[in-house]
Amino acid sequence: MNGVDKGRCGEDLAVAFLLDRGYRILNRNWRVKSGEIDIIAEINGWLVFCEVKSRSSLCYGSGAEAVDGRKQQRIIRTAMLYLQRYHRFNNLCRFDVIEILMSAPDHPELRHIKNAFGA
Amino acid sequence: MFAKTIGAGVFGLNGVLLTVEVDISNGIPALDIVGLPDTAVRESKERVKAAIRNSGYEFPCRRITVNLAPADLKKDGSGLDLPIALGILAAAGQVGEVDFESIAFVGELSLDAHVREIAGVLPMAMMCREQGVKAMIVPAGNAPEARVVDHVRIIAVDSLSMVLAVLRGESKGITEEGDATPPGAVNRTEGKTDDFRDVQGQFAAKRALEIAAAGGHNLLMSGPPGAGKTMLARRIPSILPPMTMDEALEVSKIYSVAGLLGSTGALMSHRPFRSPHHTVSAAAMAGGGRIPRPGEVTLAHHGVLFLDELPEFPRQVLEVLRQPIEDGQVTVARVSSSYTYPSLFMLIGSMNPCPCGFSGDPSHECCCSDMEIKRYLRRISGPLMDRIDMNVTVPRLKYEDMAGGHEAEPSSVIALRVSAARERQSHRLADTRIFCNAQMSHRQLQENCQISSEAQSLLHAVFEKMKLNARSYDRIIKVAQTIADLARSEEITAVHMAEAVQLRLSIAR
Repeated sequence: MNGVDKGRCGEDLAVAFLLDRGYRILNRNWRVKSGEIDIIAEINGWLVFCEVKSRSSLCYGSGAEAVDGRKQQRIIRTAMLYLQRYHRFNNLCRFDVIEILMSAPDHPELRHIKNAFGA
Repeated sequence: MFAKTIGAGVFGLNGVLLTVEVDISNGIPALDIVGLPDTAVRESKERVKAAIRNSGYEFPCRRITVNLAPADLKKDGSGLDLPIALGILAAAGQVGEVDFESIAFVGELSLDAHVREIAGVLPMAMMCREQGVKAMIVPAGNAPEARVVDHVRIIAVDSLSMVLAVLRGESKGITEEGDATPPGAVNRTEGKTDDFRDVQGQFAAKRALEIAAAGGHNLLMSGPPGAGKTMLARRIPSILPPMTMDEALEVSKIYSVAGLLGSTGALMSHRPFRSPHHTVSAAAMAGGGRIPRPGEVTLAHHGVLFLDELPEFPRQVLEVLRQPIEDGQVTVARVSSSYTYPSLFMLIGSMNPCPCGFSGDPSHECCCSDMEIKRYLRRISGPLMDRIDMNVTVPRLKYEDMAGGHEAEPSSVIALRVSAARERQSHRLADTRIFCNAQMSHRQLQENCQISSEAQSLLHAVFEKMKLNARSYDRIIKVAQTIADLARSEEITAVHMAEAVQLRLSIAR
């Protein structure tokens, strides 16, 4: 399993997790020139932009830690483009981070950080 | 969703009321502060966020825009944390119905939602009274100074949740402990001050200091090392007359803005005594900074500026003193704006007569060359010397004076005479805005000073003989007037005039 597969696998887990909690998934890997948003979901009128970070060990720090200021700005910029394209500027928005630690192959640990950051 | 609260800031020495407008809309969550916020204000974002969360309220996950009006004034300081937090909570509908038009909020927030003290609350409260704002919510530590201002209900708080409880009418804030100190009667007892009782001999210097304290005149003491110049100067506060209410308010305002007003005392009860070290910079002396803050000359307002080892001060710093001494105010101009600070102080300087310190001392040989002495004395420029009313020599004490054992006159006795003299002055100058002889203008001098004909002719003779200038003329009369006040005399007699002339012209150098 290479890095891309691992990331994909983590995102699948996250989608399943969100669906389980009543989120409606609008897009996956929505991509424009300025960047990509892993999952765009909707719940109770909130538009949720979700960044998924998978780790197989904590050797390189936790997944959430990797979403630093630069990454946040990139996601925010991309989200703005999304809002613009679908005319949803007046929607309630939120940025979430889901970090997944896959230390044991069958027991991934998943953590959902709601409203993790803002502009 | 929109809300408006009132905050306050300080510009120069005056408070300014600011309107904090908060708008919450949908969109990408963000908190933007506009309206020329300075760094401390911009950083309040993080404090406000954490404080709202940590006091059990919800920080809205929306697009929040905070506008500080008027938008053309640069806002600095952390006192806007509280009105911003309240504005956000109100705009998010978490406060309920409150009349925000009649309450001003000031205070810095800590991350755990405590309300911290800020500088400048006294002038802010004064501005609230002027603008008819009925109530003011202030940090508990700033409450004593704010309560000096009447007609404004001051509510002291220590946390954000307490503010909200006050707004809901569930709390009255922190009430003043015990009896409130009525304004004017504040007496902060600061340890025992030095007393003139400890200074043996040096009668000429003591007399000069008494005159200086009584009239607010400038004085330069000169003498060999160890003679007691610094010791004498340190005892000046013990004989200064008490401040009038107006003076105390002015001084307290300055100290409030500088953040130097202790949380224990509402008003400054003692005249300030500032003795900056001679490494002081010109900006620290006159006031400065990108957003100007009062300097030493302003902090010494209505008090004493003591410059020990006068010639050691950089020339640039001494020249800075010229305008404040003459005008009683200093204007600090910066690109953004200019501020005028009051600076009516009495300058007390001390120096040695030469680099080795023993020039003119009968018992010690001076080892300085003429050239060295000249260079040393040249460090104090003529124009500055011209502004010094009195020169006095502080000689080395003789053994008999020192070991005599008889106690010198205590400060309390001298202070009585000084106060009496000051009383006469304020009586005479009652319908002016000045408080002592040294502050008289040329016109006020002519209107208020009655000079006997002998004194007049004495001064005339001296003026011609010594080729005095107009400033010297005025300053001699002012000192003579103070001497007359000390002697409880209605007019300035030849004796008074002679002492004033002698004090001004004696070569202290």
